[in-house]
Parts: sequence; structure tokens; C-alpha cells
Amino acid sequence: MIRKLHIFIPVVLLVLMLQPLSAAENDLESRVLKFTLNNGIRVLLLERPLSPTVSLYIRQRTGAVDEISGKTGTAHLLEHMMFKGTTTIGTRDYAMEREILQKIRETGQRLDLERRKADGADAKALEALQAKLKALQEEHKQWMIQNELDRIYTENGAEEMNASTGQDLTTYHVSLPSNKIELWARIESDRLQNPVFREFYSERDVIMEERRQRIETNPGGKLAEQFFAAAFQAHPYGRPILGWPSDMRFLSMDDVSAFFDQARAPSHTVISVVGDINPEETLSLIRKYFESIPARKTDPLFINGEPPQSTERRVEVIFDAKPQLMIGYHKPPPPTQDDYIFDVIEALLSKGRTSRFYRKMVEELKIAESVETASGMPGARYPNLFAIFATPRRPHECRELEQAIDAELERLKREPVPEQELQKIKNQMKVDFIRSLNSNNGLASMLSYYETLLGDYRYLSNYIKVIDKITPDEIMQAAQKYFRKDNRTVATLVSSRMPSEQSGQPAGSKMEK
Amino acid sequence: MKNTIRILICFYSLVLAAPVTAAEPHPASHPDSLTYKPLRFNPPQARRHTLDNGIILYVLEDHELPLVNISAVFRSGSVHDPAAKAGLAELTHRVMRTGGTQSLSGDALDDLLAFHGISLNFSAEMDMGSANLSVLKQDLDLGLNIFSQILRKPRFTQDKLQLAKDLHIEGLRGILDDPPKYAFREFRKLLYQDNPRGRLSSQISVKNIQRSDLVDFHQRFFHPGNIMLAITGDVTTAEALHLARRYLGDWQASGRPEITPPPAVKRNGAIHYLYKAIPQSVIVSGQLAPSKRDQDFYPFTILDFILGSGGFRSRIFQEVRSDRGLAYSTGSFYRARQDYGAFGAYAMTKSSSTTTVLSLLIHIIKDVKQKGITAEELSWAKKSINNSFIFSFQDTDQIASQQMMLEYDRLPQDFLMKYPEQIDKVTAEDLQQTARRYLNRERAVTLVLGDEKAFDKPLSSLEKVIRIEGDL
Repeated sequence: MIRKLHIFIPVVLLVLMLQPLSAAENDLESRVLKFTLNNGIRVLLLERPLSPTVSLYIRQRTGAVDEISGKTGTAHLLEHMMFKGTTTIGTRDYAMEREILQKIRETGQRLDLERRKADGADAKALEALQAKLKALQEEHKQWMIQNELDRIYTENGAEEMNASTGQDLTTYHVSLPSNKIELWARIESDRLQNPVFREFYSERDVIMEERRQRIETNPGGKLAEQFFAAAFQAHPYGRPILGWPSDMRFLSMDDVSAFFDQARAPSHTVISVVGDINPEETLSLIRKYFESIPARKTDPLFINGEPPQSTERRVEVIFDAKPQLMIGYHKPPPPTQDDYIFDVIEALLSKGRTSRFYRKMVEELKIAESVETASGMPGARYPNLFAIFATPRRPHECRELEQAIDAELERLKREPVPEQELQKIKNQMKVDFIRSLNSNNGLASMLSYYETLLGDYRYLSNYIKVIDKITPDEIMQAAQKYFRKDNRTVATLVSSRMPSEQSGQPAGSKMEK
Repeated sequence: MKNTIRILICFYSLVLAAPVTAAEPHPASHPDSLTYKPLRFNPPQARRHTLDNGIILYVLEDHELPLVNISAVFRSGSVHDPAAKAGLAELTHRVMRTGGTQSLSGDALDDLLAFHGISLNFSAEMDMGSANLSVLKQDLDLGLNIFSQILRKPRFTQDKLQLAKDLHIEGLRGILDDPPKYAFREFRKLLYQDNPRGRLSSQISVKNIQRSDLVDFHQRFFHPGNIMLAITGDVTTAEALHLARRYLGDWQASGRPEITPPPAVKRNGAIHYLYKAIPQSVIVSGQLAPSKRDQDFYPFTILDFILGSGGFRSRIFQEVRSDRGLAYSTGSFYRARQDYGAFGAYAMTKSSSTTTVLSLLIHIIKDVKQKGITAEELSWAKKSINNSFIFSFQDTDQIASQQMMLEYDRLPQDFLMKYPEQIDKVTAEDLQQTARRYLNRERAVTLVLGDEKAFDKPLSSLEKVIRIEGDL
């Protein structure tokens, strides 16, 4: 109902959308064309002539995980700034703008420095800097054209214009009438090289509002943030994509520029184009606009792993909301065999009304409203979690639900999954995969995702073959190996509401600050 | 990561001479000066068929994937809920699906469908009920057989009804924890007050619902005259018709469509304040708007686009978000049915800017009435709407369902094809007149969810305030 509400959603749940493959697998592989430009950008093309439209994805293998400590939220803020235009899009006179933007950059930095002193800040200096920044921002307005990039795309019929920042990747996506691929190439190749960070400080306020919306007023968001922070103590997967508020409020234009510099390497970049295209013409357009982007050497960033967990971790979040529960077990990422096995376990436990969790906890014991699972949280570039999300049904509590979940996981360790049940899962995964082929957007998304994440989109075309061979024994072994108390984190949301409260007027309730 | 580094090293030697930075402006011309080949635009059309008993079918073949999709709509929305039993339509649709058929229990049916990877869903919204069946071609017979049994004679077992009621009530409790959902729910109740569309389920109304209510509701609304299907995918038209006749053709049940009057415009003009201890307020302000059959539908569509649904360039987005950084989610919406429409502007902003943002929304709307819109804005909106029109025809399910929905809404079949031309005809003057006709502050319903203690100013400094309480 709200057309652009979802524009900057972090891709934490992306893995859930990605469905496996089927008999059409060979067909898919023979239809996808893959090229590598001279600078290292990889291009995937797939022709689907049904409708004269095309879906275009650009993904960079850079995300929140690549931020430096104390600067969390930079990747996401950069993604917002990428909508502010380029040196040729959104300007009345870029030379004038450049000068003012430099002053805004410096003034903003000095203002933040003063603000960081908190109670020790010089009130007069603060006020003077604020006034100066405001005047510069006003001055800048006469040389810039607001939201020009969006205007051009929208006016040309763009749909699903979207960008997202995840822990692993950053994505820019749009769908266009198929005669307008050149427009996309012109805009995207430009912003991959020459973005201009206009309206920086008001956009920083916007992401603070985004945080209020997704975390501070959202019990699930708040719980997930604390859950990941507890599960990952050393690895950056423990940090929120949006950033910690104490970092976010002081992010500077320099921070964003530095991150951009690191993110833009062509070798980190994958393009996918799916729709009513002439592959030859499309490739030559892409070469014309993107091949001139200089290849760059970026310093390899080594991210240290999470040390093995030695005891169970538990966190509680007090919030004015119904109770909720999250449980996460550490596990390896794709394309390890164990990761495939966890995809099967995910479906077995929580896919639909015939799943084990639903039948047991929702229908039989009547203690849960829902019990869902997601393998591969909060990312897939590094070892991650198999996560369980559950909400108890009043008057039952998280503790009770946790015990019932444990019992089901124990059963997985003890009893081989019956053949019929395993076959059901495999059948469902196959049909879901075929369904996922019915959309330009979905295909462009999946192809570019696996190419960027794993260096080879064919992970997709082989997926069902691997799934099909998984045995009840393998599932039992994986369950035994990973579903251990000392390998898990449990986070519970405890209601601050009086248990008798029924209405929207919680007496004396409090928000977690 | 290792992989990336390897790739980096591999190509770096090839392009060592290339400059490392490219800060100078792109040499290419401005995107506005690009020219494009004309778009080939000839979408396929579904064919309409009628079974002897009156069931209407739209069929469109598509053999790309071995799948068949059936979308169905029923004249059975929650608008027909009795006042004391709000939630009945939703429960009826849900338990039709979960409660089994005469020959299969709910669980057995779920097992069978899951084993074949068949997806089958039933749901009710305000003005209609709907179902969707998606099957592999080889399972079409099985899927349609089960689908028809559910339509014709659902079992409505007591245990599945109880489960559905319990889950529904648990869901209602959850609304309280979801500020946008909570606010939009209360807004809807206010906007449609005294009309059945404003009756929303509560714990009390759901507890009142009995199995016999579901049986009655099903009998009243599920009959051939109230049902339309769109069948698309890897099936020939002959086969689709053959199967539809086999499973639905001998279904004889009588009944007639029931019409509910559209919501009536009322005086309002007050701010409804709903308390919740949250650091970010949800603001929604709107009113009833033209129906799809109204000639004002086209100017109002453009007006809404310019005000707040046209993305970053729309006025509300630019003023509230880009200029001032006061919201992440902000804009407007306009939804029209055949006999009424609804419009609203919304924003979510920190408590301490609540009245600032509400004043801005009020001001932006007032401004468009007083000063109208610029020629530039009008041209941008028309191009945007008409250039994206092509996305109404992306796949065969969408195309056939769309044709079915036109008939459901009793709109002419050429409604869609004439849409771009109608949009094109709208003038700046039409827009201003439409704005003046519909966007009256005294008829607007405004809802603010938040914690007034932390607001920048009391709401009463703007308008009369009515304190309300949620009835969840």
C-alpha cells in the first residue's frame, strides 16, 4: 500500500527468499550468459521475452560486515547517499557545489567534534557552527536539484526501484521498460564512479528515524539486535546493519567517502539483467558504460572469525510487547554440505502447516502462535546461525516453548527422518524453485546474489541435485553436531506490560532505552 | 573473500596503467537527452468463458514453466461481517482451507498438498474473498479436485475453528506491538465509521463466532454466481475448461450478490489521539476520495502521485524527508474501488517533531488547493504513470487476474487500455478543482499514535483533539 516504504530494507532476510531448483535446472544454466568485463565486473544475462520489461541488478560484495569498529552504519548510510545524484545528475553547477560541499563537510565535522564533548561542549561554538552549517545548506540548495536521480528513473517508468544493504552485500536494483536499458547504464555507471553526497546531514537524521522505526519501536527488531550482538562477540555479524545509534549520530562525510572508495572496486561488482533483451545489444551497452570504470586494487580486508562458543549465552530484552523468543546455533556458510543440510532442516521444522514445529507447538500443545526458522542469519559470507523465532500463545511463556523446541531438536538427533517426510520436503523445494523462475525480478536477484556471494551463480542450478541426495543419516549427524547447548544463544523478549493488561493503555509500562 | 582477492590480483596486472580514481564528471550527456526505440507493446489477453451454472473463467495459456496457476475471487469480503461477529469472513476463508473436506481431514489434506508441493490459500479482505492455487502441470487434476471440494462443501471442523480463533486473537494482541499497523487500523475504523467497512474484529467479536456462523456465511456467499476464476499457465484452454466443468460444472447452489453501500462522507476535522509509549509517532490524515467509476479518478491519481506516492520527487517526501530529515517513511496513498476511494497522507517521526510534521502535511495539502501544481510536476507525473503502465502486463497470472478484477469491480473491459489516454487528458486546472473538491480539512480524519508528553507542542495547538482508545 505504501509504494516506496521498503526502499532501504536491509537484506537480512534475503536468504529466505532464495529458492532452489528442479528439472528446469539444465535449462536455466544453458540460458544464462556470463561475461567478465576487462575491469573485472561480471555480467549475467537472461532473455525472457514475455513482457517488454527488464529487471536490472547491481550487487557489490561489500556490506556492513566490512565497516570498521566505531563506524557502524556506514555501509547503509552510503547506500542512502547513492540516491543523491552524481556530478552530472542533480546539479545546476557542480563547480559551485563542490566548493560548498567541502565547507559543509568541514563544518559538519567540527560541529560533531563539539557535540561529542557532550556536557563539556562550548555552547556558543555549538550554536555558531549550527548556524554556519544551516547557512551553507541553504546556499547549497540553489546549486543542486533535489532527488533528480529518482525523478529521471520514475519519469521513465521505473518500477521496484530499490536498494538494500546487508551484512554481506549492497544491492541497487530497478525494473524498466526494456527499451530503456541505456538509461540504467548511464545512471548506474555514473553513480558507481561519481556520486555526490548532497543533503548529508538531513539524510543522517533520516536514518535515525529509520532506526526508531525498525528497532526502537519494533519489538522484533530490538530483540534481533540484542540476539545477534550476543551470538557474535568477535565477528562483525554481531553489529546491527543500521548501526549502533552512538556511532550513527556521528558518521561523517569522510567516513562515507572512505567506505565508498573501498566498495566500488569492479571486481566486487556483479550485474544481472533479466527480461526482454537482445543479449548482444545489452552486452555492448554494458561494455560502453561500465568497462571504462577503472579497475582498482583494494587492500584485502581480513575479518577475524568468531571463536568457538564454550557455554550457552542468554539475553533478555524488556519491552512493552508480547513475549518472543530467538534461538541461534552457529553453523558453517554455503557452499558447505552442512549448509545444504540446514536448508532441509529449516523446511522440515517450519515450512507450512505440516512442519514439525507447527504440528507440535501450534496445533498439538497449543503453546505457540508461530515458530519459524531461518538458516543463514544474519549473512552468508561467513559462518552464521541457524535461527529459530517463536512467539508463545498467551498464557504460555517462552520457557515452555523453548523446552518444546528442544524436544523437537533432540528428536532430530535421535531418530532418522522418515523417507516419506524427507521426500515431501524435497518435492516442496523443487516446486518452489520452479515458481521462483516465473519473475524477471526474482531471477535477476538470485543470479546476482549467488554470483556475488559465492563467485558462481551455478550454485543455483546444482542446488536441487545436492538437496536430492541428502540422507536421513546426514540430517541426524548435523543435528548432533550443531544442536548443542554450548553452541547456542537464546534471546527472550520479556513483556514490561502488566500480565492483566488487555488494552492499549499499559499502566506504568516502560520502554527499554 | 579469498575468491574476491584472487580475482583482484588476476586482473590488476592487466589494467595497471588505468587511473585509480575518476573524480571528474562523466563525459556522457545528461540522461534526459537519451533517446529510445519505441516499445513493442502487445500484451496477450485472457479469454472469458462461462460455465453453464454461471461461474466465470478467464483463461490464458503460458507454456514457459510446467506450472498452472488459478486465482479466484469471491464476493465474500469482511464487509459482510455481522457487527457482533466481526472477523467472520476471515475465519470462514481460513477454516475452509484448514478444516478439510468431506473425504479428507484438514491434516490429511495438508499432507497430501504438501507432498505434491501444491500451494493453496484462501483469504478475505475488506471487499472480497480470494483464493490461489499453484500446482505443477501434472498435479492440476488433483489440485482442482481438492479446490472444488473446499469451495463446495468444506468440513469446518470444530478443532480447526478453535485454532483459527485462538491464532486470530493472538494476532490482534500483536497489533498493539506494531505501531504502523495499530495506527492504520484505528484510522480505518474512523474513516469508515458507521459503514460495515469500519467494523474490525476484536477479541470479543471473534469469541462470539460459532461453527454455525461459518456454515451460514459459506452458504450465503459461496455459490457459482459469486465466483470468478483466472486460469493461467501450462494448460491448454480446452483442458482448463474440461477440468473446470468436471469439478465445478455440476455445482448448483443459489444466492445472489449482496451489495453494501459505499462509506459516506462526514464532517470530521479533529485530531484523534491514541496513546502509546513509543519514541516515534505515527501520523495518518486522510479522507474518502473518488471511486474508480468517477471521472475524478484520473486527476486524483495524479494528485496523489504529486503529493506523496510518486517517490522521492513527490511533495511530502521532499519536504518531510529530503529537506528536513524528519521521517524515513512518509508519503501518501490512494486506493479506489468501484464505488468509493480512500486517500491518506502519513509519516512516522520522532515524538519531538510530531506537530511539526502534522502541520507540514496539512500545509502541503492546503498549498496544492490554493496554488495548484506546476506544469513541470504535471508532466513528470503523467510520464511516470504512463511509462510504468507496461508493468501492469508482466506475466500471464497478472494479466488474467486483472481482467477478472475489472469484471469483479463492474468496470468496462477497456478500462485499463484507456487508462493512459485518460491520464494524459488531465489538466492542471482539473487537478486543482479535484483537490478543492475532495481535500477538505473539515472532512479529514486525522490519527496520531504516540506519546503526547514528548511532543514538540500539544496537539490541541493545531486542532480540536479527541482522545481515543484501541478496542483490541
